[in-house]
Amino acid sequence: MSVFPLGRRRQRLHDASPPALVLEDDWSRPSVRWGLGTAHTVLLVLLVIIGLGPILWLAKSAITPTQDTLATPLALFPHGFAWSNLTDAWNTIDIGLYMWNTIVLAFGSLIAQIVVATTGAYALSALRPKFGGVIMALLLTTLFVPPVVLLVPLYVEIVHPPLIDHSFVNNYFAIWLPEAASAFNVVLMKRFFDNLPREIFEAARIDGCGSFRLFFSIVLPMSRPILGVVSIFAVLASWKDYLWPLLVLGNTNLQPLSVRLYAIEDFTPLGYFLAAMLITCIVPIIGFLVFQRGFLRGTGLSGALKG
Amino acid sequence: MAAIRFDGVSKVYGDGTRAVKELDLAIVEGEFMVFVGPSGCGKTTALRMVAGLEAISAGRVMIGERVVNHVSPKDRDIAMVFQNYALYPHMTVAQNLAFGLKLRNISRSEIERRVRDAAAVLDLEDHLERKPKALSGGQRQRVALGRAIVREPAAFLMDEPLSNLDAALRVQTRAEILKIQKRLATTTIYVTHDQVEAMTMGDRIAVMREGVLQQSGTPEHLYTRPANTFVATFIGSPAMNLVPAPVLGLGPDSLIAGFRPEHIRVEPAPDGAVGFEARVEVVEYLGDEQLAHLRLGELALVAKLPVQERVEPGMAAAFAVAREAVLFFAAETGVAAEPP
Repeated sequence: MSVFPLGRRRQRLHDASPPALVLEDDWSRPSVRWGLGTAHTVLLVLLVIIGLGPILWLAKSAITPTQDTLATPLALFPHGFAWSNLTDAWNTIDIGLYMWNTIVLAFGSLIAQIVVATTGAYALSALRPKFGGVIMALLLTTLFVPPVVLLVPLYVEIVHPPLIDHSFVNNYFAIWLPEAASAFNVVLMKRFFDNLPREIFEAARIDGCGSFRLFFSIVLPMSRPILGVVSIFAVLASWKDYLWPLLVLGNTNLQPLSVRLYAIEDFTPLGYFLAAMLITCIVPIIGFLVFQRGFLRGTGLSGALKG
Repeated sequence: MAAIRFDGVSKVYGDGTRAVKELDLAIVEGEFMVFVGPSGCGKTTALRMVAGLEAISAGRVMIGERVVNHVSPKDRDIAMVFQNYALYPHMTVAQNLAFGLKLRNISRSEIERRVRDAAAVLDLEDHLERKPKALSGGQRQRVALGRAIVREPAAFLMDEPLSNLDAALRVQTRAEILKIQKRLATTTIYVTHDQVEAMTMGDRIAVMREGVLQQSGTPEHLYTRPANTFVATFIGSPAMNLVPAPVLGLGPDSLIAGFRPEHIRVEPAPDGAVGFEARVEVVEYLGDEQLAHLRLGELALVAKLPVQERVEPGMAAAFAVAREAVLFFAAETGVAAEPP
């Protein structure tokens, strides 16, 4: 018996969808059709309001005159537009500088996390050192430590790093190095590497690959989906990080938008401030929309093996 | 090409499992050697030890004049075809074929020539720019073969390369592999659990069971002179009939008599032949011949008969086997024995 995933129309659109709990015969009953149909619609509307609502409100308020926003903050439509908020915010708050700082921090974190996660996971998954199991257990243990507990010891490490007699305060390495030491990324990446077909590794070794070549020519290209996931996590986490940059980047010329916007809130007109926030939000949203298909679709392994 | 030699090779895993036990076998240059046996018999482990993908617990493996026990896979000058293709999914067919050559710093023009030649031999010329996911199973397996061919290695190692293909494609690819191997005259070890593949492809066959080499020799030798009851029943389809010798009046309890299904005739035993009365239980019609499943007391036998023979399920008949077609094995050990 064929089954409908959610409804008849969707079944036609996605014939390859996995079977759902509601069977075709159940959908022919009016009570199920109306009941579940209504529930779907209500849920969809709620999700849109919860998910998109704040961003749409921010977009509206960013181009609304400040007085209008203060008078009727929840009005659906603005009474007049203030497009100049965007340009004024850019010019007076110097968003360009802070956005550049944020981008440098985010992509530095991304590179640091990818390098550590891929090489660490490759070592544990493919090279299998003697005490790999112990190392993995230790990594997993660190996942149970709340980040806030680490704040003070980490700060001490950054001020007095071991082996190097040089404080990293007011240096981007103060952000990048702790970000790189992400056990979660290593565990995530290792799980992915563990599932890559070993026959391909063996074929590559017979073809002439050493460990480095295997990593760069075979493992990394086959790992694009997980690299995408880690990249998105890394960039988003860095983009919205506030507390740690506030602690280690006292120099305002080095601070990212998240820190700087909070600092200027009290002496910036609300319209400018909201416009600055919109600009800050739009970059990662556009980035995610552009890259999410390429990053998240499929595993990229089809055809490699029989099956 | 190079000879391959196993000298007392054993493989013991960490949990104590002995996958291969003191394997002694020499494969001469250009030979097509088939390792055959049931699942878990150690044939793939033996192959992987030649490839360098399994450490050798004892003994030594030689490729040519070189002991390769501690040589890395890339330096053994071998190419391997895997059961599951093991193609690089992010590379095109051409890149898959060329990858191993690039790593060996072969010139671009030479790589192009070899890829072109292999593609022509394997009928892959129209698919060179496609990725593996856009190919059929048969085409993928041909790419896997091509990846081995372009390397022009000292030896091919093939691990059940046809087991994922359908029956028709398997027969076709079998012939292609044989043609290529004969043309290149490259020493080949081919692992399979399919005795038909072993019989039709191998210059010689090595039959393994529970990590122990049972017998090696030409297909004809293994078929006509099996070293023990395991080889006798594993090689040949349907399997050889094994009957306690006294049942046929052929000797003492300590012997088992064996005869192939095609040696059974439906007739009273003439002088000097072995005869027995049996009941026909089932008849399988195969078009050019028929298989009659017989019941002789507690024993089940199979006879391969011409379709002209009138045999019906339920009928009892006299059957005969030529005396010289009967082989003998020791009942206790299963090892081939002299006729009484």
